[in-house]
Amino acid sequence: MSKLVAIDNINHRNIKIDTNKIESHGATMHLAPAVVAEFAHLATHYPIVLAKDGDTGQFVCSAMLGFQAGENLFWDNGQWQAVYVPLQVRRQPFFLGDDTTTDTENQSPQYIVCLDVESPSVGDQGEALYNENGEESDYFTEAKAKLAELLRGEHENKAFIETLLSMDLLESMAVEIKFINEESIRLNGLYTIKQETLAKLSGEQLSQLHENNYLEAIYAMVISVGQMYSLIDKKNQRLSA
Amino acid sequence: MPFDIFHTKALFCELVFVCIYIVSIHRINFLIVGKLNMNNSIKTVVIVGGGTAGWITAGRIAAKHQSNSTTTVNVVLVESAKVPTINVGEGTWPTMRKTLIALGIRETDFIRECDGSFKQGAKFARWLDGSDNDFYYHPLVLPQGFVKGDLSPYWHAMQQGKNAGTSFSNAVCFQESICEQSLAPKTIRSGEYSDIANYAYHLDSGKFSKFLQKHCLEKLGVTHIVDDVVAVINHDNGDIAAVATTANGKISGDLFVDCTGFASLLLGKHYQVPFIECNDVLFIDNALAVQVPYEDENSPIASHTISTAQEAGWIWDIGLYHRRGVGHVYSSNHTSEDEATQRLADYVGPRIKDLSIRKIPIHSGHREKFWHKNCVAVGLSAGFLEPLEASALVLVELSAEFISEQLPQTRQVMDVVAKRFNETFLYRWQKIIDFLKLHYLLSKRTDNKFWHDNRDPQSVPESLQEMMELWRYRSPADFDFTSNNEVFPAASYQYVLYGMGFKSDYKHSPHLLNDWDFANKQFSMTEKMIQQALKQLPSNRELLDKIKQYGFTAL
Repeated sequence: MSKLVAIDNINHRNIKIDTNKIESHGATMHLAPAVVAEFAHLATHYPIVLAKDGDTGQFVCSAMLGFQAGENLFWDNGQWQAVYVPLQVRRQPFFLGDDTTTDTENQSPQYIVCLDVESPSVGDQGEALYNENGEESDYFTEAKAKLAELLRGEHENKAFIETLLSMDLLESMAVEIKFINEESIRLNGLYTIKQETLAKLSGEQLSQLHENNYLEAIYAMVISVGQMYSLIDKKNQRLSA
Repeated sequence: MPFDIFHTKALFCELVFVCIYIVSIHRINFLIVGKLNMNNSIKTVVIVGGGTAGWITAGRIAAKHQSNSTTTVNVVLVESAKVPTINVGEGTWPTMRKTLIALGIRETDFIRECDGSFKQGAKFARWLDGSDNDFYYHPLVLPQGFVKGDLSPYWHAMQQGKNAGTSFSNAVCFQESICEQSLAPKTIRSGEYSDIANYAYHLDSGKFSKFLQKHCLEKLGVTHIVDDVVAVINHDNGDIAAVATTANGKISGDLFVDCTGFASLLLGKHYQVPFIECNDVLFIDNALAVQVPYEDENSPIASHTISTAQEAGWIWDIGLYHRRGVGHVYSSNHTSEDEATQRLADYVGPRIKDLSIRKIPIHSGHREKFWHKNCVAVGLSAGFLEPLEASALVLVELSAEFISEQLPQTRQVMDVVAKRFNETFLYRWQKIIDFLKLHYLLSKRTDNKFWHDNRDPQSVPESLQEMMELWRYRSPADFDFTSNNEVFPAASYQYVLYGMGFKSDYKHSPHLLNDWDFANKQFSMTEKMIQQALKQLPSNRELLDKIKQYGFTAL
């Protein structure tokens, strides 16, 4: 469970974050939300796919960590077994909340930084949020930068997905996998780049993708699909262990 | 006395004269202009009338023949600002999804702008004996395993056993359970037009026709002229050369589509193509329609049409997003308007006193043919039947599809296309009449002569009587319906027959019962699908709310 409270330098002056425990937040995640800016990094470990949000039906970019709900094949022996951990996990235990106290009618929306006080990483060990003078620590500044990157990523993702849809660059993935124990599963509801269309894009479309810096993300997605094999490998290793 | 069609001044003078003449006698007259070249290509289609029929036809032709480019068929729709549209066709078939796709319309836009909601078939209440728990479903999903084998004999056999009591539709199809819970046929994660259970729509007809108009004009390159058609101008071979309008003069075309509603201005009034009554088979001749608001914004929205039998007719109940459309269709030979109004009031409840009731006469039947010379009628101008199986809009869609797919390239080949169109649609009308009659045939109601008269063999078409003979010993099967132009599949007949308690007797063909393995598998599959669907599907209202808020993704 999580309980979010707004952070201030009075109530949270002495709170510390144990950075070794942060990644445990993703221990039971099978799809980690991802932002376009990290696709190239993600592609070195995870299949990057699109799935639909159960509540809104809208596409979300995700790094695939397992084959069923609750299964993170990268979480082993209490540790994340990959060099690059998705930003959505590393951002823990911080969140952005809507600031309802300021008048937002004439301004862009304001956010406040919140802390999940139920997070196992919150306690008296690790990195402090504030120094002795009550000033923000470098650690906290960096944590805020991650939140800002996620926020920026939310808008970028939306524009990216809209572009993919408008150019007919998405298709649903039909994956049927048989694991080492003869159990087979069919993956539904995952989407990836439609390479057939990608190969036929006009020069004008390509240059539009290039200008928006989308080509890198698109090819990262294409290549990342190959990580499905290493994910199957991981699963098989678990099954035969 | 042919005259030069390019001599516009002369023509204008003639038209003014004609206008006055027509207005005074209320009949369209015609002039003859020039000789028609039969080898000229079909360049311009003129659609007269702008209800849903007009815009669907305009849209299908324009989309198929790329009227928004410069080279191909030009589609012109002319409609009067003075003639109100009927706007009660609110129930559709799953074909509407195909139609919307063909028009290039996003499902999200359609649902948002036409107050659309999902329809998963029809529930017929009180049709068998009029008791409180008398109902059956005609769902839109085929019986489980239908393409591989027929479950009806097994279901019949089970009626004697321990599993007796499960209705036919509930035993062979998971959709009835979805409908009974007012659940949607899909989730917000389903892409546009994709489904978990097959579905059609309920829609606001007035909004739908405005929505189609906007799409046709903005996206499909249809030309729109708002004007009164006052005369028909003929070629010397009797083809229509042009329609004359009050303010825009003469509108010429190669093919004219009559979408003028009950007026049937071109096919009926101008060409005098006879109307074939079918009031000797279907007795409904009036409708009382009313728009009923929901109790509150959380009231469930039924995801099927509800048809509740009354003493001399039945009441439709169609759930849209923002209101219900309810109407009582009845036979004025069997009840009075006051009685019928009272039945409607009993159904709607005390709120009826604040609502305005619209009376619409129903003239059951269709034209003897629908395509004559270079004129084809689509919609009410072609005919109308009581809306028991929502046949009005589907016939519009099928007609529009036929015309756009088989648009003749020249006038010379048009007669062949016309002949085929007439054969196809006469067959369809006859089949629909048979199928509607089937609903009445098996009723055991005795509360009004209406039901007795409906069962009178004199009132049952021979084609239907013959099939009923066959089905005494076996279930309706696909080989009973071998035309490419079938409207109702064998499964629909099964749902109605066995929903109404009809029993086929399989004693002469025991082999129909020799694969219980298959049957049991299908029955348990249905049960499993019911459980899954009930767990997975949101309520109809919840999904519609989400569509308003988020929309479906295109994929």
